[in-house]
Amino acid sequence: MSAPNSLRCLARPSAIIPRSLTSAPWIAAPFSTSAPSLAKAETRKGVMPGGHVRSGKKMQLGKFKKNAVRQGKSPLPGERKAYRKRIQLSNSNALPVPGLEDVRPADMVDENKIGRVMSIPGLVLDQLRDVEAFKPTQYWGMFRTPSTLLRAETVDLARRMQNAADKKDMLRLVISGERLTGKSLLLLQSLTYAFMNDWVVIHIPEAQELTTACTEYAPIPETDPMQYMQNNYCLRLLQGIRKANERVLSRLTCAHSHTDLPQNIPVNSTLLQLTNSAKEPEGAWLVFQALWKELMSQTATRPPVLLALDGLAHIMRVSDYMSPSFEPVHSQDLALVRLFCDALSGKSTLRNGGAIIGATSRGNTPRSPSMELSLTQRLAEQAGEEAPKHPPYAKGFDPRSEEALKSVRVVDLKGISKPEARGLMEYWAASGVFRAACDEKTVTRSWTLGGHGVVGEMERASLQTLRP
Amino acid sequence: MPPRPNLVSVFRALSIRPGSLAARRPPAATACIAAAAQGGARRGFATEMDDTKEISETLRAKMNAYMSDDPSGKPSLDGPSENELALKQLELAAYGVQPWDVETEGVKFGIPQRAAAATPGVSHKKRYDPVVEQMTKLLMRDGKLAKAQRDMAMILNYLRSSPPPKVNPARPLLPGAPPAYQLPLDPVLYLTLAIDSVAPLIRIRGYKGLAGGGKSLDLPIPLMARQRRRVAFGWILDVVNKKPSKGSGRTMFPHRVAEEIVAVIEGRSSVWDKRQQVHKQGTVNRANLGHSAVQRFKVM
Repeated sequence: MSAPNSLRCLARPSAIIPRSLTSAPWIAAPFSTSAPSLAKAETRKGVMPGGHVRSGKKMQLGKFKKNAVRQGKSPLPGERKAYRKRIQLSNSNALPVPGLEDVRPADMVDENKIGRVMSIPGLVLDQLRDVEAFKPTQYWGMFRTPSTLLRAETVDLARRMQNAADKKDMLRLVISGERLTGKSLLLLQSLTYAFMNDWVVIHIPEAQELTTACTEYAPIPETDPMQYMQNNYCLRLLQGIRKANERVLSRLTCAHSHTDLPQNIPVNSTLLQLTNSAKEPEGAWLVFQALWKELMSQTATRPPVLLALDGLAHIMRVSDYMSPSFEPVHSQDLALVRLFCDALSGKSTLRNGGAIIGATSRGNTPRSPSMELSLTQRLAEQAGEEAPKHPPYAKGFDPRSEEALKSVRVVDLKGISKPEARGLMEYWAASGVFRAACDEKTVTRSWTLGGHGVVGEMERASLQTLRP
Repeated sequence: MPPRPNLVSVFRALSIRPGSLAARRPPAATACIAAAAQGGARRGFATEMDDTKEISETLRAKMNAYMSDDPSGKPSLDGPSENELALKQLELAAYGVQPWDVETEGVKFGIPQRAAAATPGVSHKKRYDPVVEQMTKLLMRDGKLAKAQRDMAMILNYLRSSPPPKVNPARPLLPGAPPAYQLPLDPVLYLTLAIDSVAPLIRIRGYKGLAGGGKSLDLPIPLMARQRRRVAFGWILDVVNKKPSKGSGRTMFPHRVAEEIVAVIEGRSSVWDKRQQVHKQGTVNRANLGHSAVQRFKVM
């Protein structure tokens, strides 16, 4: 059907435009008493056959009450959150970057590769997705393939991990820094390194899910002081571990038999079978414990383990859970958190080498004075300076958290250097996202606007902008 | 207290002459300025003319003469004193010559380059594309411009990462529009094209009682480009506000707007019907332009 009007100009219509259809007969002839007008009137709501409108029949409370008419069905429970948390990892509109290579394990420890952007290989990408390493606030969805910048800290961290694996040592490290400096991304890079080197990776993507009382908990019998297991979370964690580490776990066999689990696991069955035995929340914690015991086994050969956690401040405080006697439960009385903290403090060791990495977060994070103080102290010690003392009159300190962070290594992330910024911005420009000449002036401008190379701020200044 | 320039003697010598005397530049004065420029003379006034300081100045001159063993007792100066320079400059000002010529005197850090104001990113008032800027202001609620800007950035990023639109031939876009597959690479163009394509050419203005007998006379009024865009984006926002949201979070509203913009380009949006309706009314009411009342009251 052709439109009666031309779309672009106001030329005369070829067809006759229908007159307004609102002229109902009872409006056109208000004094008529013919049958159609009566019939019309009867159909109207609140109008009596005589044409009398009964006003005052409808009571309306509230002067500005809206008649909210919802059309269509509203989203099902969970759909809104799924939409909010949806992560898009690639953009087919973005230009493919010529010369972009997949990162290899050797690249991450090569200091000549500092300042280069390299893409994450597809296999590792799936693994990272399984352990929920990507976050919805990151800018993955603007580029063709997910790629990361190898910065000096990345290479340093990867080398430390390599050393730990070689010496069967234990790297205990906390990633700290100002907001938007790339803490979660450095953690993601450490996960990438671990996956590429066939480590077993256990990643807790949001520590707040453990401690803000949003998942079920139950006391573990025969523990003093009482500890708590979180079976639902453990089940989800185990499923992530199974998916991400399937290749490694299927190669390893159990050194012990596990009879107390929901499913009997004999000796020499694979660790994948052991992980698979958690089908329901009941017993998930037991399965996790058994898996941990197997990974720490000295009798069999085991790969290094990476235990990573994002949002460290959430586990360095009293949790939102309550004990049966209605006392607040400390986060480190939750069994999974305790396992992490014991390893972080060095109380328990990874027998076959590995790394414990916690990353702090600056958004949606509770204040943890103990963590802040401990990290400042560790940084001062690393720099060979005198560590700041405990402030005598300040409140809110937590000795257990300080104990957990007593001997960790701290990486204090700051802005990237200008050569690194150049590499990153050239990648943006080559992807067609940053549409300006990428010269020294532009790079310096973005670097300065981004608070001397704070990556997130540079992204804001260059990508999240209204400029074409 | 800073020394005050004694202007009395200078202005006493002034005379009012007709016309610009810039061309008649006294050679002595120019030579003086050139000498000042070479000698790196500072702009300003010396304290010699100040009566209260006269004694101390003569004293200092004597001291200088004593130190330099000059028998004449006069201070040894290479060129004219600073004070004389300043006086000359004032004299030049009286002649209508620009005495503090930057090129002659020189500047310490070079003359700053003034870029063209229209260059994007140079003037902070013209930082963004005009369409983007206008639409951002229309998105703004409660005066929260920063939030509106963030929303607009999210809209542009959504357009950037959405698949290329399938243009409906029944709803043609502006002539000269680039092919659809190029649009996501330039989200600002995408947005501009969508808004300009559905923007109405006219609006209907009713003049009450002009048609006689209390009836209003509807006249089509042409719109300027900015007005057209405003109307079009207002329609888009109306549709967006009525649409139920599918999710939650800060990306929800901008994504709804962006989805509607994609719908406009693909010809699915109900905004096209609104545009058509307005244009129909315009063609119907075009006859009213010849109404006698229009000429009588000079409404157009």
